[in-house]
Amino acid sequence: MQKYISIFRISLQQEFIYRLNFIMWRVRNIIQILIFFFLWDSVFRDHHQIIFGYSKEKILTYAFLLLFVRAFVMSSRSNDAAGQIANGDLSNLLLKPLNFFKYWLTRDLASKFLNLIFSSFEIAILFFLLRPDIFIQFNLLNWLYFVLATLIAIFIFFNILMLTNFVPFWAPETAWGAQFLIIVIITEFLSGAFFPLDVFPEVVFDILKFTPFPYLIYVPIKIYLGADISFIIQSFAISVFWSIALWKITNLVYQKGLKVYEGVGR
Amino acid sequence: MNKRKLKFYIKIWSIMARNSFLSWLNKRSTLLIFITGKLIRYAFSFGFLYFLVKNTNGFGVFNANQALFFAITFLFIDTLGQLFFRNVYTFRQLVVSGDLDMVLVKPVNPLFRVLLGGPDVMDLITLPPILFVVIYIGSLLEPSILHTIFYILLVLNSLIISASIHIFVLAIGIITLEIDHTIMIFRDISSMGRIPIDLYKEPLKSLLIFGIPVGVMMTIPAKAMMGIISFWGVFFSIVFGISLFYLSLQFWNFALKKYTSASS
Amino acid sequence: MDKAIVVDKLVKNFVVTEKEAGFVGALSSIFHPVKKTVEALKNITFTIQKGELVGFIGPNGAGKTTTMKVLSGLIHPDSGFVSVMGHDPWKKSGKYLKNISLIMGQKNQLWWDLPVIDSLEFNKAVYQIKDSDYEKNLSSLVEILKIGNLLKTPVRKLSLGQRMKVELVAALIHNPQVLFLDEPTVGLDLVAQQALRDFIFEYNRKNESTVLLTSHNMADLADLSRRVIVINEGNIVYDGLLEKLTKKYAPNKIIKVLFEKEVSLEDLQKIGNIDKYNYPEAVISVPRSTISYVASELLQNFDVIDIDIEEPPIEDVIRQVFETKDF
Repeated sequence: MQKYISIFRISLQQEFIYRLNFIMWRVRNIIQILIFFFLWDSVFRDHHQIIFGYSKEKILTYAFLLLFVRAFVMSSRSNDAAGQIANGDLSNLLLKPLNFFKYWLTRDLASKFLNLIFSSFEIAILFFLLRPDIFIQFNLLNWLYFVLATLIAIFIFFNILMLTNFVPFWAPETAWGAQFLIIVIITEFLSGAFFPLDVFPEVVFDILKFTPFPYLIYVPIKIYLGADISFIIQSFAISVFWSIALWKITNLVYQKGLKVYEGVGR
Repeated sequence: MNKRKLKFYIKIWSIMARNSFLSWLNKRSTLLIFITGKLIRYAFSFGFLYFLVKNTNGFGVFNANQALFFAITFLFIDTLGQLFFRNVYTFRQLVVSGDLDMVLVKPVNPLFRVLLGGPDVMDLITLPPILFVVIYIGSLLEPSILHTIFYILLVLNSLIISASIHIFVLAIGIITLEIDHTIMIFRDISSMGRIPIDLYKEPLKSLLIFGIPVGVMMTIPAKAMMGIISFWGVFFSIVFGISLFYLSLQFWNFALKKYTSASS
Repeated sequence: MDKAIVVDKLVKNFVVTEKEAGFVGALSSIFHPVKKTVEALKNITFTIQKGELVGFIGPNGAGKTTTMKVLSGLIHPDSGFVSVMGHDPWKKSGKYLKNISLIMGQKNQLWWDLPVIDSLEFNKAVYQIKDSDYEKNLSSLVEILKIGNLLKTPVRKLSLGQRMKVELVAALIHNPQVLFLDEPTVGLDLVAQQALRDFIFEYNRKNESTVLLTSHNMADLADLSRRVIVINEGNIVYDGLLEKLTKKYAPNKIIKVLFEKEVSLEDLQKIGNIDKYNYPEAVISVPRSTISYVASELLQNFDVIDIDIEEPPIEDVIRQVFETKDF
């Protein structure tokens, strides 16, 4: 345990070595949220209008929660693992008495911790500047479910990211491409980070809900905003199923990939 | 610029374009991944706007076709910018490794090389369908010939503005070594032009007209096609574009002077 | 003779931001960056004639590369006068750039994924080289460097040594009159280093081009340049013949002897300063003035198989130069 605590500490410091990178990444996050916010702010003509089942209050709350949930779920360091595998640096990690998954999860948590602190400040500042009407959930159960759903989201995202990290085991030259396609494109759009998934016709969501993607962003926020109990139960059932299934798959693929890696002798 | 010089630069550009194309052919799997990614991204962002416009019956004063025309014009100009200025994305590597030195000692304008040196093959593939949609939705608006000419002129003007902003980004990159985020921030902000900027509230609206010229770049061309921009509006937009271009060149020269060459 | 390069009272300062260690330090330097001025070039003056091959030496950070970059127009000097073949480098006029070439070890100007010939064709267009000149230069460069079989190979598949040769072809295809070579042998193996040196020497002689060369590698200089400019902490500390430098800072010569029979160390020490004695070989350093006397003493008093009188290794001389504070 002790060693993972020191990894956590060192990771925090490392984020600051590339501080310009970190700051710019936060700036981008804020800008993306602002764009989301202003787009919806401008679409609504008056307060009584309902678009895709959202009142203005709720969609603007979605924007603010997005800043928070994204920082928590999607900020990570472990995307570096792909490059490590591609160029052979993985060997250095394998030689150390560390568990591969625990190592990267620790580094991710450090990144999430830092991003969480920053995003909290940002939310406070933006709230002060924009003074939007925000929907506040008074049902404590919803809060509890929201936190729970977010934790599950972190785990699902970690596994999806890991799976894209493993592509270079077989195709080292596409280290970045696979990640770009899966994380930047598919995950961002299908998770609800770009727009709430209610925008799609209902039939699309009925299919999407059986994939792991909506449980990253959309579902936790939806639960906060007040989803009915059947939606919540169904969501937890599917997302827990995915957590377990992905964890098994990730481990399996890792073991197989490691054999290829050792075979090539990179 | 005299005729010989123009001929020289056209020749250099065509070699650079050819080499960039051949380089991509060497990494076919990556090319495939990126084209897929692009198509998915376009499908989602345009699809999203399509559903949004359908659900809200256009944006206020704009009807559904007009709203979609704003969106596709945005996509068109954004893609044009990427097609020509893709090389900017590789600039960081050039500066950090010091290989920029090798570009600077060549008797070709270095800005020309780093800005236009790597036209994007992928966008050459995605451009025709986008152009087709522009023409299709555009024709539904039944524009006059004059308004169509305005549109074409203003799209060219947007390309000049886009070039200027990319030059600013490059110059900042020389001074701070930071490129990747700056360019993405610009693209994020310019994506606000997917809907007509008239819809945003003040002071954001003014900022998007006078600060970061998303309005002139994305909204005004589409509006000209709809016949709601006067001759003087077109005129001043172009004056604005050219002035910005001039400023960006000044800033680039300033940055070059500050250039201290990495890794000495 | 014509002056090819004139540098007068050249000054260049850099401002660098200092980074602080640790978490708190990192945080505070975001808001209060600590800036420091580094005087890279304090006062540099020298002249180089057309067709000369001059070596530029000095420790890391002395200002060699900075001077090179000013001369090739990459860096704007703070003050001072610089002229290369009558041009102000900073203006980077096409006419000027067409006549110079900058080669820096481990920097790349070639298209990474493409065959070598594509990069050369690009340079042909950039430098507007006539077809006939291009063919002629290319075939002679290819012949000297023996790289004919590499032209169709993608750059990324070349070894470092092969790539350096190809870089040279790309840098020389326009037949430049002035050549700036910055650490050209960095990272090359010994055979490749020697080949490169031979090539530079040949090239300078045949084309009567002016060559300015920096290097850490003393062999580069001993082999190539008669004149050296020594630079330290932004100042020129020596400018003249390499031999004279050796004489000035190496008052001793070195005698290597092979003995027939074992001799006692005490007997040897009467003769001079013994650097090394390991029967049958001894290395003795002797002041220049007494060298012939000592040599004859050795031959008379001991059974000598072989005797050799050498200059001290140039590395030692240079070290001597930088250790002596008062030049």
